[in-house]
Amino acid sequence: MAAAALARLNSARQELEAETIRGQAGRAALERFSDQLDALIVQLCADAARPSSDVSVVAVGGYGRRHLCLHSDLDLLVLFDGPIGPAEEQFLRGVLHPLWDLGLVVGHQVRDVLEIHRWRDDDATFLLALGDARVVAGTASLGAHITAIVDTAEARAFMVESLWRLIDERYASFNDTLYQLEPNVKDAPGALRDLTALRTIVRMTDPALLDRGPSDRAKVDEAEEFLLRVRSILHLAGRRNQNVLTHEMQERVASVLGYSGSTPQQQVERLMGDYFRHARSVARAVAWARQAALTPAGENLVTSRDGIRFVDADEALARPATWLCVFQTAIDTGSSITHETLGFIRQHVDRYTAADFFPTPADRDALLRFLKPRLGLYARLSELHDCGLLGRMFPEFEGISCRVVRDFYHKYTVDEHTLLTIRNLERLAAPGGPGRERFASLLADLPDPELLVLSLLYHDVGKWRDEDHTSESMRLARQMLERLQLSPSACATVEFLIENHLKMSLVAFRRDTEDPEIVRQFAELVGTEDQLKMLCVLTLADVAAVSPETMTTWREELLWRLYVDTYNQLTVRYGDEVIDRSQADLSYLVARRPPAVSDTEINRFVEGLPRRYLRLFSPDTIYRHVQLSRDIQPDHVHATLEPKGAAWEVTVVTLDKPFLFSNICGVLSSFGMDILRGHAMTNLNGLVLDMFQFTDRERFLELNPDGRAQMVQLLEEVVAGRCDVGDRLRAREQGVLHRRSGVPRFTPVIHSDNQSSERYTIVDIMANNAVGLLHRVSRLISRHGCDVDLVLIATEGEKAIDVFHLTQAGAKLSEPARLELSADLTRMLEDYDEAD
Amino acid sequence: MKLIKAVVRPNKVDEVKEALSKLSISGMTVTEVRGHGKQKGHTAVYRGKEYDVSLLPKMEIEVVVQDGIVDEVIAAISQAARTGEIGDGRVFVIPIEQSYRIRTGERDVI
Repeated sequence: MAAAALARLNSARQELEAETIRGQAGRAALERFSDQLDALIVQLCADAARPSSDVSVVAVGGYGRRHLCLHSDLDLLVLFDGPIGPAEEQFLRGVLHPLWDLGLVVGHQVRDVLEIHRWRDDDATFLLALGDARVVAGTASLGAHITAIVDTAEARAFMVESLWRLIDERYASFNDTLYQLEPNVKDAPGALRDLTALRTIVRMTDPALLDRGPSDRAKVDEAEEFLLRVRSILHLAGRRNQNVLTHEMQERVASVLGYSGSTPQQQVERLMGDYFRHARSVARAVAWARQAALTPAGENLVTSRDGIRFVDADEALARPATWLCVFQTAIDTGSSITHETLGFIRQHVDRYTAADFFPTPADRDALLRFLKPRLGLYARLSELHDCGLLGRMFPEFEGISCRVVRDFYHKYTVDEHTLLTIRNLERLAAPGGPGRERFASLLADLPDPELLVLSLLYHDVGKWRDEDHTSESMRLARQMLERLQLSPSACATVEFLIENHLKMSLVAFRRDTEDPEIVRQFAELVGTEDQLKMLCVLTLADVAAVSPETMTTWREELLWRLYVDTYNQLTVRYGDEVIDRSQADLSYLVARRPPAVSDTEINRFVEGLPRRYLRLFSPDTIYRHVQLSRDIQPDHVHATLEPKGAAWEVTVVTLDKPFLFSNICGVLSSFGMDILRGHAMTNLNGLVLDMFQFTDRERFLELNPDGRAQMVQLLEEVVAGRCDVGDRLRAREQGVLHRRSGVPRFTPVIHSDNQSSERYTIVDIMANNAVGLLHRVSRLISRHGCDVDLVLIATEGEKAIDVFHLTQAGAKLSEPARLELSADLTRMLEDYDEAD
Repeated sequence: MKLIKAVVRPNKVDEVKEALSKLSISGMTVTEVRGHGKQKGHTAVYRGKEYDVSLLPKMEIEVVVQDGIVDEVIAAISQAARTGEIGDGRVFVIPIEQSYRIRTGERDVI
């Protein structure tokens, strides 16, 4: 076997040497030599012991490009489809030992496929080598792993960036000049490494780059041929991996390549003249590529000086779902989109249906990310509309394109009015917007502002016909929601906003909002604070897009006052409206109940809870709460703890007792949980339902498999009085983890009154958010002998906003008791802030 | 001639306009204004913070009428704008010395 391999290698070498002596060992000869080495490796692999997993032997670097010179290193990647064990090691010996025995210099790397996906842990040269990878022997399909990596935008961007850095470093080592009297034909500026880097950059960013600007593809190819021939001669003459064209070698090379001249000096001058001419061509092309400043910007996308564009038009046509990335990238990078790209989309967009643009959940998520209000969204949406893509993605929008509806107020076509509403949102979202900070703060509070944009996009699509546009907009929006398969809660939000998009302006501008009944009815309509905030911001954006004069500061004031009154109705006065058995909502709940839940159970559970409860929770969640409340005994805790998006949600059902709320908050804080929002309610039978959403900054629940059980167990022990949560909290409070540094502080605000609610004393607290805050506040309230009947918990950025509904012996607090509690709370919060 | 200036609740403007049109008064000026009468010093609470809302949004309607129908106009405005609650607004009557139609130069034309 060894003799056969040696004979094969010697034969290949002799062939290449003969070509070199004739001065013909350029690209074609080196490719033939590489092919013969391929055959040798295929044979060695076939003869080696079979590994236990699939294997590929992959040529990388210059060998991958098939530019193997006589004494070039043989760069190999041996890729296994599984862990590397004794069988794999035996295979490696079977392949590598004969290559070493043949005197070849082998640069080899051995990986399993999982390892190469962790390319970020390797240095840049490994990834760059993969850029030229070529499967020589073994299982060809393993090469797909390499392709999958190299084709990602992230890897491409990293490779291009690394190449520019390496070029800079290499140029610096040659004093940034290609005019070397003894140039290195591999490393010098304008030499072979430049060519390799140039071809990689061009392939990854803009295949047509060499056909534009000052570069010349034919001259670059010619330079490569020349440099490879020279390098072949250097390898043969030096009998090693020799790449420096020394004075001595210049005479030899000039002679082999047949340069004319009466003296060796004349021949060398002509050779070097050619060398510098070729090196200049290469260096010029590299400079042009750098000037064109192409940067991979996403899948099949690059950013150039004139904007973002597709790398490969055919790929773009095959994958319309990636088109939205063009516009997303334009917003993310603050770049424009090239006219050619917009023209390309305009030319081809009619080939596709809406479904083609959002075929997978990931594509639909990408759409929602794109719709988040921020600077640039209006401009990009306008481009989407202008090139016909918006109408293809959202066919219902097409009906209002350039649609004119004559009335006394609107100044723009329906489509432009719609896009202007989104521009108004974008301006609210931008820092230093047009003096509407209070509305901007509402937008900033919203968990899903993209739903607001989606709602605005569809709020007037029903205007394609002349009848009642709201119901038609709803119908069309439902089509879109079904297509996008948004979550039920997201669909409900969008439908709510579209259905009621005219209601808030109607009430604010044309109803007597000083009438508490008007506000109560409006609060009943909006149901929750988040929906109120969305509707308020939507109304502002919508009215302000009618004409520049429509949303006056006077109207803004009316809108804001309605917002505040409704917010107070929802957060402060909601406790006055409790569920009774005769309510229509309740009959609906009873009628839909699953067999496992009886109507008596439902009635008993909800009676006395605020009506808000029915708006906050879906029927299915309510049935779960009912089931959770079964067989509850004093000191028992029935709880569920589940992940909720990026946060966690705990629902606790127990019977009321002093310090209960404080203890539950304390348990969460003792595990380092940061409470974001929540509700605490008590029904007529003294049954308490507390629901908290919290974040687990220390990843306790994630890192401890029994973390949930631990937390629920501690809840039971603390509620039953078997454990003092204060001890656990003190240990934590002495630590530093609960303190947040570097966030702006503000003076805590406490407001309490006996007027806002008919049944409760209201204590409204806005304070710097901190772990344990709710526990401390509610513990103080309980120490004052107050019952915590209802609590509404919200967090906005670093602000904790908590509204407590309190009673003392079943009645509102007396004035002296209220004032004393307020004073104590103020002291406690201020002391804590100072200590912080 | 009298200038009648009425400050009313914003939601009452349409009703006042309709009442005036029944008296064949079609020309009027409507302005968004803010102000307060007896209910000054009012505050509201938002997220625990009190803020001043004493300057309430109102609408000001101005019409110029012949002396003979002033009482009728005042009654129509008052009836249309009334809720019986504090904040219903005010009606002012101001004598007009002269008026001119700018386009034609005619004097004392309503």
